[in-house]
Amino acid sequence: MKPFIAFTSLTGRLLLGSAAALTLLACDPDNDPNPGAAPVVTNSVFVINEGNFGRSNADISLFSKASNSVINRSLFASATNATLGDVAQSMAVRDSLGYIVVNNSNKLEVVSLAKFRSKATIKDLMLPRYFVAASSDKGYVTETVSYTAANGRVSVIDLKANRVVKTIEVGSQPERLAVVGSRLYVTNSGGNTVTVINTNTDVVEGTITVGDGPNSVVADRDGAVWVLSGGQVAYNPDFSIDYSRTTKGSLARIVPGQLMATTREVPSNLSAPGRLTINGSLDQLYYTYLGGVYTLGINEATLPTTPLIKRGSFYGLGVDPQDGTIYGGLASFTAADKVIRFRNTGAAIDSFTVLAGPNGFVFY
Amino acid sequence: MVLQTLLPGRLAAQLVLLGGFGLLAGAVLPVAAQTPTNTLRSQQLPAVRVAGLRPTRFAVGSRQLVLDSVALNNYRSGTVADALGARTAIYLKNYGPGQLSSIALRGTSARHTAVLWNGFNINLPSLGEADFALLPVNGTTQVEVQPGPAGATYGNGAVGGTLRLSAAANSPADWGRGWHGTAQGDYGSFGLGAGLAKAGFSNEKVALRTSFNYRRADNDFPFYIGEGRSRVQQRQKNAAFRQASFTQDATLRLGQRGELSAAVWLTDAGRQIQPGIGTNNTNAQERDQSRRLMASYRRVSTRREWTVRTAWFEDVINYRDDLSGLSESTVRTSQAQAEHTWRLAPNASVRLGGEAQHFAAQVDGYGAAPRTENRYSGFLLLRYDPRPRLQLSLNLRQAVLPGQPPPLTPTAGAEWLALAAGRHALSLKGNASRSYRAPTLNERYWRPGGNPNLLPEESFGYEAGLAYTYKTTVLTLQNELTAYRQLVDNWVQWTPGDSYWSPRNLRQVRAQGLEASSTLGWQPGAYRLTARGSYAFTSTEKTQGAAADADPVGRQLPFVPRHTVALSTDHGWRGWQLGTTLTYTGYRYTDASATDFLPGYLLLNASVGRTLAVAPAWQLLVLAQGFNLTNNTYQNYQNRALPGRNASLSLRLLWR
Repeated sequence: MKPFIAFTSLTGRLLLGSAAALTLLACDPDNDPNPGAAPVVTNSVFVINEGNFGRSNADISLFSKASNSVINRSLFASATNATLGDVAQSMAVRDSLGYIVVNNSNKLEVVSLAKFRSKATIKDLMLPRYFVAASSDKGYVTETVSYTAANGRVSVIDLKANRVVKTIEVGSQPERLAVVGSRLYVTNSGGNTVTVINTNTDVVEGTITVGDGPNSVVADRDGAVWVLSGGQVAYNPDFSIDYSRTTKGSLARIVPGQLMATTREVPSNLSAPGRLTINGSLDQLYYTYLGGVYTLGINEATLPTTPLIKRGSFYGLGVDPQDGTIYGGLASFTAADKVIRFRNTGAAIDSFTVLAGPNGFVFY
Repeated sequence: MVLQTLLPGRLAAQLVLLGGFGLLAGAVLPVAAQTPTNTLRSQQLPAVRVAGLRPTRFAVGSRQLVLDSVALNNYRSGTVADALGARTAIYLKNYGPGQLSSIALRGTSARHTAVLWNGFNINLPSLGEADFALLPVNGTTQVEVQPGPAGATYGNGAVGGTLRLSAAANSPADWGRGWHGTAQGDYGSFGLGAGLAKAGFSNEKVALRTSFNYRRADNDFPFYIGEGRSRVQQRQKNAAFRQASFTQDATLRLGQRGELSAAVWLTDAGRQIQPGIGTNNTNAQERDQSRRLMASYRRVSTRREWTVRTAWFEDVINYRDDLSGLSESTVRTSQAQAEHTWRLAPNASVRLGGEAQHFAAQVDGYGAAPRTENRYSGFLLLRYDPRPRLQLSLNLRQAVLPGQPPPLTPTAGAEWLALAAGRHALSLKGNASRSYRAPTLNERYWRPGGNPNLLPEESFGYEAGLAYTYKTTVLTLQNELTAYRQLVDNWVQWTPGDSYWSPRNLRQVRAQGLEASSTLGWQPGAYRLTARGSYAFTSTEKTQGAAADADPVGRQLPFVPRHTVALSTDHGWRGWQLGTTLTYTGYRYTDASATDFLPGYLLLNASVGRTLAVAPAWQLLVLAQGFNLTNNTYQNYQNRALPGRNASLSLRLLWR
């Protein structure tokens, strides 16, 4: 069974918060207790192009690591002769299947990764955001439900029948989610909590208070859960940002099996950190903040104050689990957008062109 | 163009031109219908009265496309979008039948076309543009399009061009008609229904006109999407609309010199917002209401003329969907204009004037408090004809806006009748102009993102053209060719920031192109033919930009076709009529990198009708129309479905 990581990152359009999610799947704790040690080999990078809201022009671009080039800019359209839909929010992989969350089409598109053929479409979701699979049989999708809803929800998907079998109410505007052992951690970006759900019973076990606006979550090699919060932006009456009331972003660490977290704040509230991502050996964290990319080891005592990469604001952030290459997506939403690649030292390698709004990367 | 396929306007459309002008009992001079691009029209008022000088008198050297009341009579239950789409090669970006229809004149954006109604700008102050699907033709007597910049002449937003709608009695034929009336009913595909009633009276003292129209459609048309190797049929959801409008115009002649007029124009449209193909249907709907009142007084003598006008508009846009709830917007505009004209000599006139506008916006997106803004401008217009065949104009305007004012905007134009020999006439013309566009209320005040520090956009453009006319007693041929170029600076673009989008003065855009048109009128006997062809080549691209502007330079801007063609024929023989229109819209890029595009498409429509005299002074028209006859599957805007082949039937009753 191949461990895999799905990195995605969120839209800023609705200010729902953002971050990079690591979904650690396929690591059955019974027979593979230390997934971080497993070697990871990736050949392809799927770039999730969100597309323009309302224009149904989202698609996936396929980048080949062997040729260092984009093999197919519109992979879904060319493979299926259909449009993927409106606002591709994220993509995750389970076994040989890709799960593409198409936010404003209210669907989860299941594709074969070999030929990118459509295998199933799970419809009638309500503003779905992110997907994670807990096993080959079961997956979870966060859903905003509506922009005015007090609470969002998580739908439980039967991955064999490809249908929703249950919905679980969580906090406001749930974003990225991660499965660790038999627990599902859901970031509630509209508040300051993480909902913990037992993946055996699909019942909420409790909530953990973290910093304002949790938007992304990853698990490290020790099974600790890291939650990045963007902080809560307060506005003046003229809608400029009131920095005297805006809270700082923060990084929380949740000890496995406990419903509490230790939280560290970022230095400044001038920017909301987001897109928390982890490397292949599951010991180095990455996130976007103050127009750059910051990184820290899981055992470092303090948060970094200088960026690893100082290069504009990335709309999508990914780290290749095989070699640590960092992928940053720049989003203009008008032109064909660019992805820039960096070594794990922060030195730029090259760039390539995709479609509008690259918001995340899946390495496979 | 697409929009029209459902519109009853098309029904009326070919009626008159084809069926013969006798139908329009007491209507305007039929000859005018043959001259939709007439730039040299002379107005002949009763000899005792002196005509006021039209604004176009100070627009020498510009191309003018005129859809007069005869031409517009064909679109009376339709919208301005229909009329322009059928008669011109102008590109309108359209989101579906009855949905948003915005203009892109000469490669600019919809905010770069000034839309004037009786001299007042009716672009929505919040958006800075007009939705042409919300402008019914019924209350309008004339539509004039002047492509190209003319900020000095027409004020804010006259960058890509100016569209002027007039309602008041402004032609000699509007006077002394007595009573007249029209009623029409339409029935068509996808739940289309429309009706209109219009009545008027005029003698030599007073002219009154009242009109009402209503139309609706379910728009539940089938469309096809690719799925694997096959095409799957879907039915359009949430695209119904209903639309009503009421107009009342009154003009009163006060003695030989004075004229008082007033006009009311109410429009009310309730639309479901058609979701894109593959897009979540959130049951979005929008209510657009505009209430427009204006009054003017004009006093004309042989040497002087002065006019004062005042207007009050209220524009309501209330939007609702399942996800976001309700968003309300009301903007009230109060404004006044005054101008004084001196006729220094038969060949020289000077006009000096000014305007003031006050906007009061109560828009959810701007916050709870109302926003107000004042704008002013003053202008000086000169017209001088040094020789009978040579016309010159020089205009200046200075606007005062909140924040930094735009520069002084001059316009200069010249027109020379180079050849007038027998049946041939050849004119050469040219003009150059600076123009400006004030930031819209949304661009300044929208929360979050609104940027109160935006600079006005500025442009400089010029054009040159020639017009050739050949005329015999049975045949008229008019050809016109125009080349233009324009640079627009401080072009505003909304771009994503750290947490929200914001408009910025990002770039310079250069638009250049060619416009060619030809109109043939031929009437050898009982048979009458009018054939028109027009073609536009439009090249528009970013030439330089700010560091924050990621879009590449040198690429055709998205959603501006390089090539558009419109061909139409209208045939009339005794009571029969036959009409065809064929339009071609070239490919449009969908991204600023000019990589992905929507393919070009052809649309073929046709109509056949019969006119019957049912009683003295009463006539009945029966008209059948077919749209998209080749049953093309095509998209005007990205992933917005449009109907395939469809049809309508209409009955029209005319009295006098």
